[in-house]
Amino acid sequence: MPPSGVKANRRSVLDLLLGAGVLGWMGTVLFPVLRYLKPLGAQAQNGPIKLSPEEQAKLEKERAVIVRAGAARVLVLEDAEQRLRAMSAKCTHEGCTVQYVPGESVIWCACHNGRFDLDGRVLAGPPPRPLEKFACHREGDGSIVVQLGHGQEAA
Amino acid sequence: MSAPAAEEKGLYAWLDRRYGITPLIDFLKHKEVPLGGHSMIWYYLGGLTLFFFTIQLATGVLLLAYYQPGEATSYESIRFLTTKVPFGWLVRSMHCWSAHLMILSLVAHMFSTMVLKAYRPPRELTWVTGFVLFALALGFGFSGYLLPWNELAFFATAVGTDSMKAVPAIGDWLVQVMRGGTDVSINTLYRFFALHVVVLPLFTVGIVSGHLVFIQRQGMAKAIAHDNPERGMRFFPDFALRDLLLWLICLIVLASLAVFLPYGPGIPGVEWELGKKANPLAPAYPGIKPEWYFLWVYQLLKEFPPHLLGIEGPQAAIALVSVLFGIWALVPWLDRKARADRPSPAFTDLGMAALIFLGYLTLKAWDIGGGGAEVPDPHLVARASAFWGLGIAAATVVVRLLSGGARYFDLTAAAALQIVLHGFFGLPWLAAGGICVALLAATLFWRMARARNAQAGGQP
Repeated sequence: MPPSGVKANRRSVLDLLLGAGVLGWMGTVLFPVLRYLKPLGAQAQNGPIKLSPEEQAKLEKERAVIVRAGAARVLVLEDAEQRLRAMSAKCTHEGCTVQYVPGESVIWCACHNGRFDLDGRVLAGPPPRPLEKFACHREGDGSIVVQLGHGQEAA
Repeated sequence: MSAPAAEEKGLYAWLDRRYGITPLIDFLKHKEVPLGGHSMIWYYLGGLTLFFFTIQLATGVLLLAYYQPGEATSYESIRFLTTKVPFGWLVRSMHCWSAHLMILSLVAHMFSTMVLKAYRPPRELTWVTGFVLFALALGFGFSGYLLPWNELAFFATAVGTDSMKAVPAIGDWLVQVMRGGTDVSINTLYRFFALHVVVLPLFTVGIVSGHLVFIQRQGMAKAIAHDNPERGMRFFPDFALRDLLLWLICLIVLASLAVFLPYGPGIPGVEWELGKKANPLAPAYPGIKPEWYFLWVYQLLKEFPPHLLGIEGPQAAIALVSVLFGIWALVPWLDRKARADRPSPAFTDLGMAALIFLGYLTLKAWDIGGGGAEVPDPHLVARASAFWGLGIAAATVVVRLLSGGARYFDLTAAAALQIVLHGFFGLPWLAAGGICVALLAATLFWRMARARNAQAGGQP
């Protein structure tokens, strides 16, 4: 009969192997599941986007319009001096969609009362960062183009 | 298991021979609910929560007969259900009302357990499973909210999922997994649908089973330090019949509410008008609010400044919520007096302070005193909410003084002081809270030093 120490040793080695096997097995099951759940990255839209006639009509009527740019949303507005401005419509606080308030010349988020100036800088409320700003201009034919990807955050 | 005599006939004998159910019946016959020490009403709240949960399962399955998740169908199928399907409005109304009542009875159950210290050994895991069920119930509320795919649902989900980015290391991954993309879209609804109708019910049924097995094995907790001789009410049939009667009454109340107020009582956070279909390109509308049991988190997100101690405000707010939840889950181990079966007024005080803290934030979120303005004056709201908040604080103090035994009010005082400093003196909510926490820490230190001195002085 072997001494008990040897037996315990052999047992603990087997336990270790078994434990490592179970861990490895769990890893091989979990990894595909976790990878499966993470959505495929949305195609980043970097090029210019052109506003559709409907969007442009809405911009002219309501002074602002929110347009889709890939997975993101962009707020395009015309300020009091009739200058075009474009910035991310997603509030940097908790991701609600912001709106332009022409009367006060501010961008406002109704969810937690965050306020930004027309350059996207935080004026008041809890948002921690400015809204991302995009270049925006009117083409010769009158159509409006927003340049994505080369935007810079307001200082 | 003893085999009954062969001549016994009937279904009971047939089952008993196979499964030995007599010991189980004997167990039920001898099971008792402890009497004395405090009102019996607190023993019914858990069962009541379970009752509302079964209503949720039943009405949920009925809703599934018509609901179709999809960009072009979610909103439309719910509108069809409520406007065209016979009694469709009733089924949806019952589901919504019962959801709110379930959370209400669950919260009442949790607070009563807190105040009565029913979590003390050997029932720590009953408290922990109860806490997990509370979290699951919040998950039900949050995931179910999106399913009608209306405007309110869209922004509530945008905010709720966005707050998950505060989780260290895996935050961004978590947000994407919850949303099925970088932003809330119909892909989010598919995931929430699976969560709401399959994942959460499975987990809930499993954990409820564990919670119930614990209660059956250990019996209900007696009142703390209660020297009454062993006295009890038979569980079956005396207590079970009372339970049944209460369920019947609640079913009638639920049905009446569902019939007469099919879209809720009209209080922000307790209403379920379908409203407009979700439009990801529409801005959030003024006055948008989550359901009442999330209002305090909503308000907390408003109270935190953009940056705090080097991290972003929302992250700090979510960290605070996590810490508070963590403390709450660990109460059975933190409350050392109750562990020794001694009265622990400090933890009763913790429960009451939590109530005042949550109550004040909720009142503020409701814009009490704002005069119905689109963006009410925050000072007016803070002051009006402070009056009501102090009213809640005073009520808890009076009740505790009348019920006797309460000798500890430090935490209640701190919660009330924060209300005064913020509501009446205009200090930022967070600064007022900081002052109160500092004062509380100083008081605790002073009490501990005094106790140590008294102990040292008492010794020869």
